[in-house]
Amino acid sequence: MTTALRSSLLPLLTAVSLWLASASAQAQQSRDALARTLPSSTLTGEEVQASRTRLLAAPGFARARVAGNPQAPDAHAIGEGSCIACHQLEADHFTHTLHALGLHAANKADASIPVCETCHGPGSAHAQSPQTPGLIIGFTKASGTPVEVQTRTCLACHKGGPRDHWSGSVHQRNDLSCSDCHNPMANFSAEGLLAKASINDTCAQCHKDIRIQFNRRSHMPLPEGQMSCVDCHNPHGSITSPLLKTNTVNETCYQCHAEKRGPFLFEHAPVRESCLNCHTPHGSNQNTLLVAPIPFLCQQCHTGQRHPNDLHTAQSLATGAHPDERVMGRGCLTCHANIHGSNAPSGPRFHE
Amino acid sequence: MKPNLPPVLILAVALPILAGCASSRMLDLRAVAPVQGDVQAGARKIELCSACHGKNGSSPVPAFANIGGQKIDYLYWELVEYQRGANPDSPMTAILRSLNVSDQDLRDLSAYYAAQAPAPSSGDPAAFAQGQMLYRQGDPARGIVPCQGCHGTAADGRVDGDASRYLAYPALRGQHEQYLARRLTEFRDKTETLMSSNDHIMHGVAHNLDDEAIRQLAGWLQAATP
Amino acid sequence: MHAQRRSTLLCRLPLALALAAILPAHADSGIGVDTWRANKLDPTAGAQQYTPDARGTSWLIAGQRRSPTGNPYMCPAEPPALDEFGSWIGYGVLQVGAIATSGDDRNALWMRYADWDSGPILGLLDYTWQRPSDGTYANVRASRISADDQYYQAVFGRAGAYKIQAFLRDQPNVVSANARSIWNGIGSDRLTLPAPLVPAGSSVADVAAVSAAAGERTLSVKRSKQGLGFNMFLSPRWTAYANLSDEQRKGARPYGGAFFFNFPFPANGGALETVKPIDDHTLNLNGGLRYAGSIWRMDFSYSGSFYRDRYTRYTFQMPYALWAVVPGSAAAPLTTGQMAMEPDNDYHNLKATLTRTLPLNGEISLTASAGRMSQDDTLIAPIDCTGVFGIGLGGNLNPGPANPFLYRCSDWNTPAALSRRSADMRIDTSLLDARISLQPSSDISLRGGLRFNRDDYRNGYLAYNPLTGDYGYIAENGSQGSIVPGEVGLFNPITAPSNITRVRSLPLDLQTIDANLGADWKLDTKNTLGATFAFNRYEPTHRERRRIDDNSLKLTWINRSLDWLTLRANYTWKKSNGDRYEFDPYEFTYSIDLPGYVPPAGGTPSHTVEAMRKYDMSSRDGHKIDVMATIMPREDMSLSASLRGDWNSYDAPIGRQDYQTSSATLQWDWQPRDGTNISAYAAWDRSQLRLSNVQDQQNGAGVDPYLGGPNYALSGQWWLRDKQRNFYGGATLDHRIGRVRIDASWNYTNARGLDLYTYAGSSALAYPASVTGTGPGGGQFPAMTYRVNALTIGVTLPLAERLSLRVFDYYERGRVSDWHYLGFDAARVIDHRVYTDGGPISYNANLVGVLLNVQL
Repeated sequence: MTTALRSSLLPLLTAVSLWLASASAQAQQSRDALARTLPSSTLTGEEVQASRTRLLAAPGFARARVAGNPQAPDAHAIGEGSCIACHQLEADHFTHTLHALGLHAANKADASIPVCETCHGPGSAHAQSPQTPGLIIGFTKASGTPVEVQTRTCLACHKGGPRDHWSGSVHQRNDLSCSDCHNPMANFSAEGLLAKASINDTCAQCHKDIRIQFNRRSHMPLPEGQMSCVDCHNPHGSITSPLLKTNTVNETCYQCHAEKRGPFLFEHAPVRESCLNCHTPHGSNQNTLLVAPIPFLCQQCHTGQRHPNDLHTAQSLATGAHPDERVMGRGCLTCHANIHGSNAPSGPRFHE
Repeated sequence: MKPNLPPVLILAVALPILAGCASSRMLDLRAVAPVQGDVQAGARKIELCSACHGKNGSSPVPAFANIGGQKIDYLYWELVEYQRGANPDSPMTAILRSLNVSDQDLRDLSAYYAAQAPAPSSGDPAAFAQGQMLYRQGDPARGIVPCQGCHGTAADGRVDGDASRYLAYPALRGQHEQYLARRLTEFRDKTETLMSSNDHIMHGVAHNLDDEAIRQLAGWLQAATP
Repeated sequence: MHAQRRSTLLCRLPLALALAAILPAHADSGIGVDTWRANKLDPTAGAQQYTPDARGTSWLIAGQRRSPTGNPYMCPAEPPALDEFGSWIGYGVLQVGAIATSGDDRNALWMRYADWDSGPILGLLDYTWQRPSDGTYANVRASRISADDQYYQAVFGRAGAYKIQAFLRDQPNVVSANARSIWNGIGSDRLTLPAPLVPAGSSVADVAAVSAAAGERTLSVKRSKQGLGFNMFLSPRWTAYANLSDEQRKGARPYGGAFFFNFPFPANGGALETVKPIDDHTLNLNGGLRYAGSIWRMDFSYSGSFYRDRYTRYTFQMPYALWAVVPGSAAAPLTTGQMAMEPDNDYHNLKATLTRTLPLNGEISLTASAGRMSQDDTLIAPIDCTGVFGIGLGGNLNPGPANPFLYRCSDWNTPAALSRRSADMRIDTSLLDARISLQPSSDISLRGGLRFNRDDYRNGYLAYNPLTGDYGYIAENGSQGSIVPGEVGLFNPITAPSNITRVRSLPLDLQTIDANLGADWKLDTKNTLGATFAFNRYEPTHRERRRIDDNSLKLTWINRSLDWLTLRANYTWKKSNGDRYEFDPYEFTYSIDLPGYVPPAGGTPSHTVEAMRKYDMSSRDGHKIDVMATIMPREDMSLSASLRGDWNSYDAPIGRQDYQTSSATLQWDWQPRDGTNISAYAAWDRSQLRLSNVQDQQNGAGVDPYLGGPNYALSGQWWLRDKQRNFYGGATLDHRIGRVRIDASWNYTNARGLDLYTYAGSSALAYPASVTGTGPGGGQFPAMTYRVNALTIGVTLPLAERLSLRVFDYYERGRVSDWHYLGFDAARVIDHRVYTDGGPISYNANLVGVLLNVQL
C-alpha cells in the first residue's frame, strides 16, 4: 500500500460517507417504524419454508435452543413477542447487536429457534412472577442465577476455540461470569460485545493496577488504543500462565517483535529465556520498559572482571567530574548495542 | 512556548450556560420515593373529584375509574401526569390544568382515596374465563404476558418482594370494565399519550392485545373477587 | 558490501497479496494479535462517543444492573437512526474536523504513539449494513489523524456463517524528537560523516561543533500493517479460520557503536550512539480448524511468521583516531564500524488440542505443539576495514612477523574469513500439555495439569578463520586490538595460545516440566475456597544450574456474603531452589576450552565472582498477596479496590538480593442517572530492588573467584537499592444535559525513582578518587522523575437532528528527569563519546479540535 493510495482513501471515504448522509436524510425511519419491522416470533409456515434454505447456510444459530434453567424446571418458552411486551427498551438496544441479527434471521427461517430464550431460558415462570429471582436466567449480580449456570449457557454455543481452556482457568476459578466482561444486550463497544467501551476498559474493571502501569513513562501503545490486553492475553483461558496466547512469554513478544526471534549466532542467555528478565511489559519508569535503570539492571548479573562490576556515582554523568560511557545515555548498551543477540561473527559480546 | 489554554476556559464558561437547556417530557417512575399525603386534608379537597369518582372513590359512571382503595402512589403519579398534560383529550387534564392545584393537594387527595374501601366487584367472572387465563398465564402465541406479574395474583397491585417500582403499579380488581378497556386501548393505540415510564411498559404490553383480549381482561377484572 | 538482503521466501508485497488471495484477520482471543484498532483520539474506536440513551436500559428498572462481580453496566447508547436500502438497513457515524496543536507539540513524549498533526482529520467513519432477512452484515470503520496514524477496516459476514475482515493501519512510534546526529544518511544502512569531519581524523572540537550545529530531528519507527482474515462455520460444529498480515516497519532509532573504552584513556576509544535504520517487514499467518461437539472438542492450528529485514547490517564512520597504549607504537586508522541487523527468520508452529468431556462434570484436554524458529542469514565479515588494523610497533604499519599485533584487513574483511558463510541457526520447540478438571459435586471442583516444554538448539557456530588459523573474532570493529596489543579478540594455538576469547555460540537448549494440582470448594453459596499447588522444573543447558525447581502454593478465597461486596483474595507461597550453582558454565564457549590453550603466567583469570547468583538461576523465597474488592455502597455507585504485594528474596551474596513490588488502587464510579457518569481513581505503587556487586582488585588478572579473596576483596563490595514509587490519580465526567454532552477527564501520574548505593570501601568505586576517604560510604543518584497531567474537556452540541459538533481540548503537561541524560542539553559530545539522543524532555502541549458529527 503506497502512501499515495492511503492518502487518497480519506477523500474517498469522506465522499462515500457524505453520500450516505444525504441518502439517509430521505430514507430515515423513526424508532417506532423500526419497532414495527422487528421480526416477531409468530411466523406463518410459508415464511418458515421459504427461509429454511437460508438458515441452513448459517449453522452458527441453527442449533440455538431454549436454554435450560435448573431453577425453573417447569417453565416453558413464551417467545420473543412476549418478552418484548415488557422489555421493549431492552429489545430496542439489543436488536442492533450481532446476536440479534443472527437469532432473528434464524428464528425467521425456523420459528422453533428461540431469540431471547436462547440465552435466558424459558420465560413462562418469570412472566408470571418477574420479581422472583432465578426464574429467568439472568446474567447480573441480582439475577439469582448461579455463575456456573450463566457461563454454561453462553458456552452452549461458544464452547471450544479460544474458550477451550475456560474450565480451570484463573477467571473461571475466581467465579467470573462471561457477563462480567461481556454485555451482549447492546453495543457498548465497537467490537466484541463488551461490557465496557473497549477491551482495555473491560480488563481495567478489575485490573486497574495493571492498567495504570501503562501511564508510566515507557509503555506499549495501549492507552493510545493501538493495542489491547487481548493481543497478549486470552482472558478465556490458555495453557500458558498468565493467560498468554502463545506457548511461552517470548513467543508472545515475538508476535510483534519478530526481529528478536532469531535465533542469533550469539545469544544472550536471559534474553532467550524470558523477555521479562529485563522488561516489565505493562510499563516502566525507565526507558524501554526496563525493570531497573542501566547500568544496575546489567550489574545484577555482570560481575565479571574489569569494567562491568564498578560502582558508579552521579560523578560518572555528563554533569559529573568524570563522565563515563558506562552510565550516560544508553549506558552499557552504547557499546553492547545488540543486546538481544547478535548475528555478527564479531558480535559475541553484542558490540556489532 | 506556552500552549493555548483559552479553549479550556471557553468551555468552562460555556458549561453552566448549556446546563440550563435540559428538559424532558418523560416522567420516570422507575425509582421514586413512596408518596405520602394527609388523608384528613384530602377529605377536605374532594368536592370536585367526588362529582365523578364518588366520595368513597366508587364512580357511578362506568367510564370513570373507581379510585377508592387504589394505591396512593399510582393515584398521585396519575394526577401528576394529567397535570402535565399527558392526555389532552381527557377531562382530567383540563380540570387539573385549569385549577390551581398544588402538589400537596395531589398527595392529600391520593392519600384520601387510597384510604377508602375498594369498590366491590360486579359481574360474573365465569363469563370471562378467557380473561382470567390471560391475566394469569398470558398467551405466548399472541405475545400476551400474564398481567399478574406486575398487578398481583389477586389483581390488587400487590406482589411479593415489592421493589419501589411496583408502588405505582395499580390495583385492577373491581375496576370498571369500560374504563379498563379504554385505558388498554389507549396504551395500545395512542402513543402520544405515553408519558411515564410505566405508560411505556403498558404500551408494550398492550401492543399485543387485540380488542377481544381487552374485552375479556377488562370484564374479568371488573368481576374478579378477592 | 552494502548489498540489500534479498528475501528468499517473499518478494514483499506481490507474493503477500498472492497469498492473501488464498488465505484470506479477525480478532481472536485465542490466536494472533490485531485484536483492536483505534488511536489516541478515541482509544475505544467510537464507543466512548455513543450517545447514552436518556431512556435508560429498561422501562422496568432504574439505572443500571451490575455484573455478577458487581461492576455497574454502562447505559446503552441511543439506538441508531436507520436507513433502508432495499432489504438492507444501514446506520453509522461520520466525524470530520480539524485539530490544531500548540506548545511543545514536537516533543517525543507528547508524540510517542500519536502523530498529532495540525490540520483536517477523519475522526471516525463507522458504517454498518445489515440484512435482517438472513443475518448478512458489513461494516467499514476508519480514522485518520495523519499519514502515520490511521486505520481502515472492512468487515463482511453473515451472523453464524462466516466473517471476512480486511484492514490497513499505520502506527507511529516516536523514539526521540531531539536527536542530533553527526552522521548523514539517517534511515539508511550507511552513516557517513559530513565535512569537515574526516573518518579517523576529526578532533573532538570539530565533532562537537557538528553535533551542536545539527538540527534536532525526530527519530521514529512507523509500523504499517495490512491484514486479511476470515472465519466460518463449516457445519454447526466445525469452524475454520485463517488470518494473514504483513507489517512493514520503517524509520530509525538511536543505537550503539563500539570503538572501545573512552573512560580509561582520554582522547581514545569511541562510544558512539549511532542511528539504526529500521526497514523490515513481517508476514504473519495463521489458520486452523476447530470442532466443538458435546463430547469432543478439537482445535488444530498453524501459525507462521516470516521476518525480513532490508539490511543485513549498517555501517557508520568513526570520526576519531585511536592511539595505542604502547609507547612509540601506532594504532592503525579505523574508519568504519558495523552493526549487524537482526537476521531474517522463519517461524512455524503447529498445535493440536483435543478435549473430551468426562463423567463427574469433567473435562480432559491434551495439547501438542511443535514449532521451529530458524534463520540462515548470510554472515557479515568480521570487520569492515581496508589495509591493516591493530598496532604497529615502533610506528611501523607494515604487517609481518615483526608486527605481531598488526593484522591484514584482507584476512578478515570477507566472508572467506569465516568458518561458514551463513548462520544456519535453528531452535525446535515442542510442547505437550495435559489438563483435567472434575466437578464431582456442585461444591467441589478438582483440577490438575502436566506440561512439558522443550527448546532444542540445532547447530552451533565456531568462530574460526580458515585464512589465518585464528579462532575468535575482531573485537569492537578492530578498535580493542588497535589500542591494547593482543586484545584483538583472537586465539591462536601457536601465536597467541594464552588469549582468552569467545570462540563458540551458546546453545541454550532447555526443558521445563510443570505440574499443578488444585481444588476449589464452595463452602456455601457465598464463599469459595481454593488451593493450588504448582511445581515447575526448569532444566536449562549451559547455564549456572542444570535444574531449578519452583514450588508454589496458592490459596484463594472468594466471598460474596455481603450484598454490597465481592471480595477475591489470594495468597501465594513461593520457593525456588535447584542443584549446585556453577558460577562459570560458559568456559566451553571460550578459547580456554580449545586444544593448545596455555594459561597465562598467573593462571587463567576467573570469569566472575563465585558468590554471584544470577537472579533467573538463584534460589528464591517469595510471598504474594492479591486482594480485589468490588464494593457497592449505593445502587448507583461502585468502588473497586485492589491491594497487591509480591515479595521475593534471593539467595545471592552477590547479585539480585531482593525484589518487592506492591500497589493499592481505588476506583470510584457513579452513575447518578442515565447518561451521566462520574468516576475518579487514585493509586499508588512501589517497587524496591536490592542488588550487590563487587569490584575486582587485580586489574582483570585475578584468578581467585571467591568473594573475600584477594581479587574480589570484601572491601570492593557494594550494594544498590533501586526504589520506584508512583502515584496516579484521575477523574472523568460524562454528563448529558438534554442533547448537550459534556465530557472531561484528568489523568495524573507522578513517578519517582531513586538509586541509593552503599559500598564497603572506596575500592568498590569506578573512581575511588572522586570520593573522600577510604572507608564505607554511600550516596544516591539524582531522582528520576516523571510527572504528567493530562486534561481533556469536550462538549458536544446538537446542531440538527443528525448533526452535532464536538469541540474539545486536550492538554498535557509533562515533567521528566532522567539522570542518564543530565547535561546532554549542553553537549552531546564528551571527548570520544558521541550521543545522538538528548533524552526525554519536559513539555507543555495542547491540542484543540473540532469535529462535525454526522449520524449517517
